[in-house]
Amino acid sequence: MKTNPQLQDAALLETTRRQFFGKCAVGIGAVALNQLLAADGFAAAQAPARVNAPTIDPAHPMAARRPPQAAKAKSVIYLFMAGGPSQLELFDDKPKLRELHGKTPPPSLMQGKRFAFLKGTETLLGSEREFARYGECGITLSNLIPHHRKIADEVCWLQGMTTDVFNHGPAKLFMNTGFQGPGRPSFGAWTTYGLGSASSDLPGFVVLQSGPRGPRGGSVLWSSGFLPTSFQGVPFRGSGDPILHLRSPDGMTRERERRFQDAVGALNKDRLAATGDPEILTRLNAYETAYRMQTSAPELMDLKQESQETLDLYGVKPGQPSFAANCLQARRLVERGVRFIQLYHTNWDSHGGPGENLNADFEKVVKDVDQASAALVLDLKRRGLLEDTLVIWGGEFGRTPMGEVRNSIGRDHHIDAFTMWMAGGGIKPGIHGATDELGFGVTEGKVHVHDLHATILNQLGFDHEKLTYRFQGRDFRLTDVHGQVVKDILA
Amino acid sequence: MTSPRTPKLQGLLAVLSTLGLLTASHAAAEPLRFNRDIRPILSNACFRCHGPDDKKREGGLRLDLRNAAITELKSGDTAIVPGKPDESELLKRVSTHDPDDMMPPPEAKKPALTEQEVATLRDWITQGASFEDHWAFLPLGNDAPPAVKNTAWPRNGIDQFILARLEKEGIAPSSEADRHTLLRRVSLDLTGLLPTPSELDAFLADQSPDTWEKVVDRLLASPHYGERWGRHWLDQARYADSNGYSIDGERVMWPFRDWVINALNNDAPFDQFTIEQLAGDLLPNPAKAQLAATAFHRNTVINDEGGVDAEQVRVETSMDRAATTSAVWLGLTVACAQCHTHKYDPITHKDYYGFHAFFNTAQDANNKGPTVDIARGELLPGAPPESAGTGPEAETEPDTEARADPKTGARAKAKMKPRPAALMIMREQPTPRDTFLLTRGDFTRPDTAAGPLLPAVLPAVPPKLEKGTGPDGRLTRLDLAKWLVSPENPLTPRVTVNRIWMRYFGRGLVETEDDFGTQGSAPTHPELLDWLARGFMDNGWSQKKLHRLIVTSATYRQASEIRPDLQEKDPRNLLLARQERLRVEAEIVRDAALCSSGLLNPEMGGPSVRPPQPEGVYSFTQRAKKWETSPGGQRYRRGLYTFLYRSAPYPLFGTFDAPDFSTVCTRRPRSDTPLQSLTLANDPAFLDMASKLAARMATEVPGAFDAVLDARLKRGFLLTLSRNPSPGELSALRAYTAGALTDFTGDEPAARSLAKDFPPAPAAPALPPAEAAALVCAARVLLNTDNFITRE
Repeated sequence: MKTNPQLQDAALLETTRRQFFGKCAVGIGAVALNQLLAADGFAAAQAPARVNAPTIDPAHPMAARRPPQAAKAKSVIYLFMAGGPSQLELFDDKPKLRELHGKTPPPSLMQGKRFAFLKGTETLLGSEREFARYGECGITLSNLIPHHRKIADEVCWLQGMTTDVFNHGPAKLFMNTGFQGPGRPSFGAWTTYGLGSASSDLPGFVVLQSGPRGPRGGSVLWSSGFLPTSFQGVPFRGSGDPILHLRSPDGMTRERERRFQDAVGALNKDRLAATGDPEILTRLNAYETAYRMQTSAPELMDLKQESQETLDLYGVKPGQPSFAANCLQARRLVERGVRFIQLYHTNWDSHGGPGENLNADFEKVVKDVDQASAALVLDLKRRGLLEDTLVIWGGEFGRTPMGEVRNSIGRDHHIDAFTMWMAGGGIKPGIHGATDELGFGVTEGKVHVHDLHATILNQLGFDHEKLTYRFQGRDFRLTDVHGQVVKDILA
Repeated sequence: MTSPRTPKLQGLLAVLSTLGLLTASHAAAEPLRFNRDIRPILSNACFRCHGPDDKKREGGLRLDLRNAAITELKSGDTAIVPGKPDESELLKRVSTHDPDDMMPPPEAKKPALTEQEVATLRDWITQGASFEDHWAFLPLGNDAPPAVKNTAWPRNGIDQFILARLEKEGIAPSSEADRHTLLRRVSLDLTGLLPTPSELDAFLADQSPDTWEKVVDRLLASPHYGERWGRHWLDQARYADSNGYSIDGERVMWPFRDWVINALNNDAPFDQFTIEQLAGDLLPNPAKAQLAATAFHRNTVINDEGGVDAEQVRVETSMDRAATTSAVWLGLTVACAQCHTHKYDPITHKDYYGFHAFFNTAQDANNKGPTVDIARGELLPGAPPESAGTGPEAETEPDTEARADPKTGARAKAKMKPRPAALMIMREQPTPRDTFLLTRGDFTRPDTAAGPLLPAVLPAVPPKLEKGTGPDGRLTRLDLAKWLVSPENPLTPRVTVNRIWMRYFGRGLVETEDDFGTQGSAPTHPELLDWLARGFMDNGWSQKKLHRLIVTSATYRQASEIRPDLQEKDPRNLLLARQERLRVEAEIVRDAALCSSGLLNPEMGGPSVRPPQPEGVYSFTQRAKKWETSPGGQRYRRGLYTFLYRSAPYPLFGTFDAPDFSTVCTRRPRSDTPLQSLTLANDPAFLDMASKLAARMATEVPGAFDAVLDARLKRGFLLTLSRNPSPGELSALRAYTAGALTDFTGDEPAARSLAKDFPPAPAAPALPPAEAAALVCAARVLLNTDNFITRE
């Protein structure tokens, strides 16, 4: 039997208040004094106006909150392809580029453009991959991603993505926080700030990682920035216990930990009665949540309840950390009410240097993600979860139509045109946007990172201009002063 | 219509009005004041489109200047006709519900004004619509501490200001906190360490009238004062031991940290402290320490990633320096004016680039720049010149003799000798580069047509500064630094004393300590703020004197318990009729546990150290870091000496709200999360500390387990909470500990596991495993109480 934790708090706080203060109703005099304070210029010194900010219960900062508008998505799974996957090898077929392979790009296309490594002497690089059209929408997919054919008509192909920043660290920050420097809250933090989480015994914002190394930038990518720290992403570790310090000290059993919790709780309640500080109540709740996490997190990681068929769908090999295992975990986290799950997979940075060529190295990283990305969409759909779960797939930027010659062939970072995809959460499947015949720029359906953020917040039930937080005298938002909801892709 | 008021509240207001309790109409009351009553309304609702930014100005109307606001517009309307509210278009627009006319307009997505706000504007126009400059830019006031009725309560001027306000509201201050609480409070506030039992005994026994002042002076003289307050300053300096962004390689920055600690311990006057950090390199014949001080602005992030545009990083770096300088000293957010004229504050797009120009002529660019060699202990006397803890940042190198013979490689380590650290510092370019206004803040779009901009201070902030000490009268960083601490600059002392105040009460007198602009909150006690600011300067900018003034006040010494009467009259404790309970900062959580367990290694300064940390922390960063746990007692040094990687801060710190040290941090949030609970309960480092605390309880109270259990538990309370337990606390902990003893007596393997860090004899009494485990359990509970990590 579950009781409502907030009701329990209210009862506890009320009991404490009465013990400590004696019974005392809020009378007319108190209201009058507040008015007098206001009349005396005191209003200006009250809390800064946060008209658009969600109301957060300090004792339960992660309690689920209703968004101001009707929401289409309740959870987000963001598959972050760290390093910048080449859209030209996967989704955006350019016959013209093959035709002009080895030629110098037209100067008009290069003018005013900035690249990380290109020196201006590079030539156009046609993709060696074979493409064909799939699904009713007719998306062109390369032979590297056969599993994506199964979701050709399940996802919205955003072929006109653009961003502002062309180095990895700043671009990852930009994609995650809408700003290229550190210090701003990540998208997941904005989401949990707005909505809390439906899970009371797991973190509301979980970060998973796979691939040869971690994402560039590290913790700033899932930081809460200037938002309260409660909203920051919690990295789940790939081996051992998923959450740092989850495991009780050796020698402590579950029953012993219950007694430990009760003893800590008894001392805290005694102090609550002595001081009347409701902050202690928050800490009591935090300890209870931590205690629940100790069982819920290992239960989450235990894949024994999953059928062999499901494991095969994703390509999960039990006991082996992988992107596939993380995708399956993401579905399990959504089932448990976790609000925002972000998976990072490295390394997509195909410059052509050692370990990062567009041939075998690229094929390996594609193989890491193809099957499981598609399986996640299909699995969510057959379980009825895709309706209110938004799946996002993409990197911090795309790759250039020109080749970059290092040890072998590769492509540089490209910010003016790349592909991402989204599925579920009220997003209409189909192709949105197109690029010119060489893939330099967007010809229609341009979606800037700020627009993507605005659209996703819209699906979560927020007007992106109204989900704000006041810091340093300014109401900040994820989209800064930009962003348009991409209405064409809404179902 | 637009008023969000519920009928119920309307009814209540009507009742109050008839009772004469409301002063919604000010016409009969004292005159309205622009800054107090009007500016907040206009700033919030109107200035965005009718403020300083001429690019965004709608209808040619400007409401932040009186002349503009009362002038007839092209439309033929006049926004404000002084004395004539019915002819003032402003009032019509904020009162109407017509979506075509109403202000703010629907597309602004701002709420309509409340009826009371409209009424206030009406009264103000009736009274003549007088304007005032924004309060924070006005000169410091000169009000003496006011008279109070209860003359017995105040101990110094602070208390007169606080009490006068409380008496006006009919609120009595709280009684003084008990001595246990007071000593723990002031020790944590001034040094970040817990009082020892003997310090507590001495304080309790000392009945002389100046016993409190003696304690305060002892703590202010402690070298740990510089560590405690240095850490607050290092947050603002965005100090870290790595470069940030993706590669996040190590850097040698600790000599700057040592410089800060030393300057605070010496009570370096804040004006000098400012000048040396911002412009030590421009002083005549600068001493090495003065050069080292300029590392303040070399704490900026560096992008070591391949393919980085060094010029872009350089521009971003100097913008960060401008933003940090403004945030730290002026409490103003200038970054808005990077792209356009500030929408609320009088900082134009051009003003910004004039300010930016001070930092745009530095020699360094991204990862290249000048350094100065600093030997260990050179900047922090008293710090051991050579310590055992080096860590892998290679502050040492084998001497040549050892290196010459590869066979002695094994012994070479023993022969390591410290080499000086190359500390990054600021230097000016011999020929300063031109600074241009950047269109939309984009470094690729300099407005060269408008010509280069010379360095200029913000014109809205006094004093005016036209001519500098550089060639051709050009202003330099040194001029800027001196301008910041000029006696006529009202912002620097206000912002500085406000932040110091904030550390003691959880909130500044100006709550928006990071925004002294028009969108910020007004001070709760404006006269007190100015009195403190003026006193700060008059006392030679001595920070220690300011600390002493605050902590010896009766206001500071009040109890922090929540009072039922205040819950209703002043629920946010803005009037300070009580102290606040404040969770201590991340580093202090650990430092306090080191104190309780007796493990603290008080060694100061030198290269940062690496206490043990769990595996897997770097699986989430691009480059795995080397984290070789520092040997011996180095792992027990204070938190501020822990090596700080920006991409993966020491986990405990991130969990307890430490910033990522990439940008200026003037105030840390205080969150309370389940991850904090898991850390305190299960982090092996905390179990180690709990075990050593248990050993202290056993050692310091010898005897048979049952016979001395209460005494040992009381000792535990004293070592962690610096007080005696309540009967309820003692019985709860006794029951738990006794239960644990029974439990573990039947499960000796578990007892041995749990008590594995309990020291063997003779470091502690030789206890049966179950007894040791039971005491570890008790100690672990104490370290997990809310009270332990809270300064009451």
